[in-house]
Amino acid sequence: MSHDSHHAPVACKTELAPERSDLGLIRPDRTTGWTDWLTTVDHKKIGILYGAFAMFYFLVGGVEALAIRTQLIRPENDFVTARMYNQLFTMHGTTMIFLGVMPLSAAFFNFLVPLQIGARDVAFPRLNAFSLWTFVFGAFVLNASWFFEFAHLAGWLNSFDWHKALVYTDFAPANGWFSYAPLSGTFGQNGQALRFTGVGTDFWIIGIQVLGIASLAASFNFICTIINMRAKGMTMMRLPVFTWMTLITAILIILAFPAITVALIELMFDRAFGANFFNPSAGGQPVLWQHLFWIFGHPEVYILVLPAMGIVSEILPTFSGKALFGYPIIVFSGAVIGFLGFAVWSHHMFTTGLGPVPTAAFALLTMAIAVPTGVKIFNWLGTIWGGRVRFTPPMVLALGFIWMFMCGGFSGVMHSAAPADSQQQDSYFVIAHFHYVLLGGVLLGLMAGLYFWFPKIFGRMPNAPVAYIASGMVILGFNLAFGPMHYLGLAGMPRRTHTYQAGNGWENWNFIATIGAYILGAGVFIAFVNLFWTAFKGKKCASDPWGGRTLEWSLPSPVPEYNFAQAPIVATRDAYFEDRHGGKRIAYENDGGEAGVHMPSQSWMPLVASAGFLFAGFGMPMMAMGVPHAGWIVITGLGVLILGIWLWAVEGPGGYMLKTPAAAGSPAPVETAAH
Amino acid sequence: MSETADAHDAPTSTGIDHKKLIMWLFLASDCMFFGTLISTHLLYRKLYPSGFTDAEGHQRFIQNLFNIELTSFSTFILLMSSFLMALAVSAMHKGEIKSFRRNVLGVIFFGLIFLGCQVFEFTHFYHQGLTIQNSVLGSTFYVLTGTHGTHVAIGVLWLILMYFYSFTGKLRGHMGALDVEVAGLYWHFVDIVWIIIFTAVYLVEYLGPNGIWGTGLPAAIK
Repeated sequence: MSHDSHHAPVACKTELAPERSDLGLIRPDRTTGWTDWLTTVDHKKIGILYGAFAMFYFLVGGVEALAIRTQLIRPENDFVTARMYNQLFTMHGTTMIFLGVMPLSAAFFNFLVPLQIGARDVAFPRLNAFSLWTFVFGAFVLNASWFFEFAHLAGWLNSFDWHKALVYTDFAPANGWFSYAPLSGTFGQNGQALRFTGVGTDFWIIGIQVLGIASLAASFNFICTIINMRAKGMTMMRLPVFTWMTLITAILIILAFPAITVALIELMFDRAFGANFFNPSAGGQPVLWQHLFWIFGHPEVYILVLPAMGIVSEILPTFSGKALFGYPIIVFSGAVIGFLGFAVWSHHMFTTGLGPVPTAAFALLTMAIAVPTGVKIFNWLGTIWGGRVRFTPPMVLALGFIWMFMCGGFSGVMHSAAPADSQQQDSYFVIAHFHYVLLGGVLLGLMAGLYFWFPKIFGRMPNAPVAYIASGMVILGFNLAFGPMHYLGLAGMPRRTHTYQAGNGWENWNFIATIGAYILGAGVFIAFVNLFWTAFKGKKCASDPWGGRTLEWSLPSPVPEYNFAQAPIVATRDAYFEDRHGGKRIAYENDGGEAGVHMPSQSWMPLVASAGFLFAGFGMPMMAMGVPHAGWIVITGLGVLILGIWLWAVEGPGGYMLKTPAAAGSPAPVETAAH
Repeated sequence: MSETADAHDAPTSTGIDHKKLIMWLFLASDCMFFGTLISTHLLYRKLYPSGFTDAEGHQRFIQNLFNIELTSFSTFILLMSSFLMALAVSAMHKGEIKSFRRNVLGVIFFGLIFLGCQVFEFTHFYHQGLTIQNSVLGSTFYVLTGTHGTHVAIGVLWLILMYFYSFTGKLRGHMGALDVEVAGLYWHFVDIVWIIIFTAVYLVEYLGPNGIWGTGLPAAIK
C-alpha cells in the first residue's frame, strides 16, 4: 500500500509520494499557494483565513452603518430610500454579529487555543476546515441578496418572467437582525402563506442556518480540543483565561444555537410550505418566535463578549507586569455569566406583556448577571493596580474596553428594571447600550487582541504611532457616535426610523453622532490598513516582543506548522513567564526531532462538503423567487454535501511524520518504539 | 490507514477518545434541538387542546386520529433495534465481525420498519384531514416527528454505509470498534428521544378521564 511510505519522517510532505485515498484520489500536499490555502487543515492558517474574512465583513458592515448614519445626519434626508434603509440596518446587524465579531473571535480560537494548551493541532483538523468554509459560504449566501437587490434596482431582472411577481419585494433581508414574526412570517389561512416581506427573509433564514452549522461544528471541535488535548501538566485551572473563555463560549454555542436552528426551520416551513407556527391568522403565536430567538439571542450576546473578555484578561497582566488578579474567580465568573445567560432572555420582551411574575423574575436575574461581570471588572482593575503599566497599543485598547464596556453595563442594568425598560424599548437608548457593549466592548477587545497577537501570527510588529492614532480615533469617534444616542433615546427618538422631522430637538445630536461615526469608521479603517500592511511589510520582531506569559510566546514567530518541536510539559499557570522569571521551568517531552511529529494530511473534502451548502443556500431563496428549475440547484447542493462527507469519511485522517529541529538544550530525540 | 493513525494518536487528556467526546457534545446540542421542538408542540397543545378541523369542517380529536397500537408497535421495534445495536457494538469490541454484520443488519431492518410505520402514519393522518397547513397541530406534529424520522433515516444510512465498509476489511481494531460505538451512541440517543416524543406527543393524550389537556376523550376511546 502507498501508505507505507508515509512512515518515513520528512522535512516537507512534498518529499513523499502523493498520498491517495481509497478511491485513488490524490490528496493535496502543497504548503504554499492557492491549493494550500483551500485545503489547509493547519489551525493557524484557518485562523488567518477566518480573521481575513471577518475583517472584510467588518468593513462591509461598517459601510452599511455609515450609510445609515449618513441618512440620519439631518431631518428628512433622502440619501437612501426607506426600503433601502430597512435592508441596510438589517444587514448591518446581521453582518456585524455573524460575519464580523463571531468569525473574528473564531480566528483567535483557531490560532491561539492549540498554542495556549501546548497542542499541535485541534482535535478534528478537517472538521475545522469545514467550519471555516461553511462560514465563508454562509456569508456569501447572505450577501448574495445584495446582488439581487442591486440587479433589481438597475433593472437587470426585468426581462425575466419570474421577476414580475417580485417588483415590490425586498431582496436583501429587511426585518431587523432578529426578524420578528409575524413580519418575517406569513398570514392567511389553509396554507396560503401570504408573506409580509420579500425573499430577503429567505436569504436571511438559510444564511443564518448555514452560519449556525459552521459555529456548531467549530464549537464541538474546540470543546473537544480544550478538554482532550492539553499538554502534560496543563490542568484545567492552569489554562490561560482566553482558552477558558473559548471553552465557555463554545459550550454556550452548542446549547444556544439549536433554539435558533429550530426557530429558523419553523419559520422556513411557514414561508415555504404554508405551516402555521407563527401565522397569527391560523392560531400561530408570533411571540413564540421572540422566545425562541432570544433563548438563542441572549446567550449569543455572551458568545460575542466572552472571547473579548478572555483577550483582555491576557493583555492586562502582560502589560501590568503582574499575574492576573483572582484567576479562579475570573474563570468562575465567566462560567456563571454563561450559565445565567440562559436565564435572562425575556428581558428583551418586557413589553410583550408576560405578566408580573415572569417579568419580575427575569428582571431579578438580569440584575444578578451584572454581579459576575462586575467581579471581572474589579479583578481587571486589581490586575492593573500597583503594576508597572506599559501603554502599548493593545493595552490602550484593552483599557478602552474596560471603560466602554462598563458604560454599556451600566445602561444594561438600567434596562433590567422592567418599568424603565418599557420606556427605553425600541428607542435609541437601546442602540446606545448595545453598541457600548458590542462595539466599545467587543470590537475594542478584538482590536486589542489583533494588535497583541499580530507579532506572533506574522512575526512583524504593527506601526505603533499609527496604532495609537487609530485607537484614539476609534475611542473618540465611538463616544461621539453613541454617547448622544443615550440622550436621543430618552428624548424619544425611535430606533429603525428611516428619517425624522425637525423640531424634536434631535437634529444636533444626530449630526454629532454621524460625525462621530465617520471618525470611528476612519479609525477602524486605518487600524485595519495598518494591520494589513504589517502582515506583509511590517518590521520583523522577536518571538516575544511584549514579555508574554503563556505558551504561545515560547514559540518562534511566525509559528512553525508543527507548533511545538517538542511537546511542552507545564508545571504552573503562566508557564512561559514562570519559565523565564520564576522557579518553574517548562520541560519538554522526548518527541519530535528526527523521529518527526504526526501531522494531519490536507484535504479537499471539507471545501467540497461546504460547497454543498453554497448551492443549496443559493437555490432555496431562488425557489422562493420562483426562478425556474431552482429546485435542482438545491438538490445538487445537498448531493454535493453528502458526496463531500462520504469522500471525507472514506479518505481517512491520513497523516505523515514531519521532522522538527531539536530544541536547544534539550536531549536529542531518540527513535520511539513505533518506528 | 487507520493503523497509521492509531500508532501516532497521542493519548487524550481525559482518556476519552476524541470521536466519542465529540459525539457526546453533539448529542448535548441535539437535546436542546429536540427540546425546542417538543416544547413548541406542547405549548400549542396546551393553547389549542381541542384538536383540529378537517377539510370538511368537522372538529377532530387527536385521539380519533392516532392509532396508538401501531405507534406502540413501532416504538417497540425501535427499542429492540437499540438492543441489537448494543449487541453490534459488543461484537465489534470482541472483534467478531460476522456477528457485528448480522446485528447491524437487524438494526437497519428495524430502523426501516420504524420509518415505514411513520410513512404509513403520515399518509393515514393526511387522508384523515390533518395537514401541515390546516392547523397549528399539523405543523408542530409533522415537523417534530418528521425531524425525528430524519434523524432515524440518517442513522440508517450511516449504518448501511458502515455495513458495506466492513467488507473492505478496514473496519477493525480499536478505531473500528470506536466508529461503531459512536454510531451506537447516536442510535441510542435517537431512540431515547423517540421514547420522550412517544410519551409527550402520544401517550399523555390518553391520561385520565379527560385527557391531559382536559378536553375529554371521545366515546370510542373510553
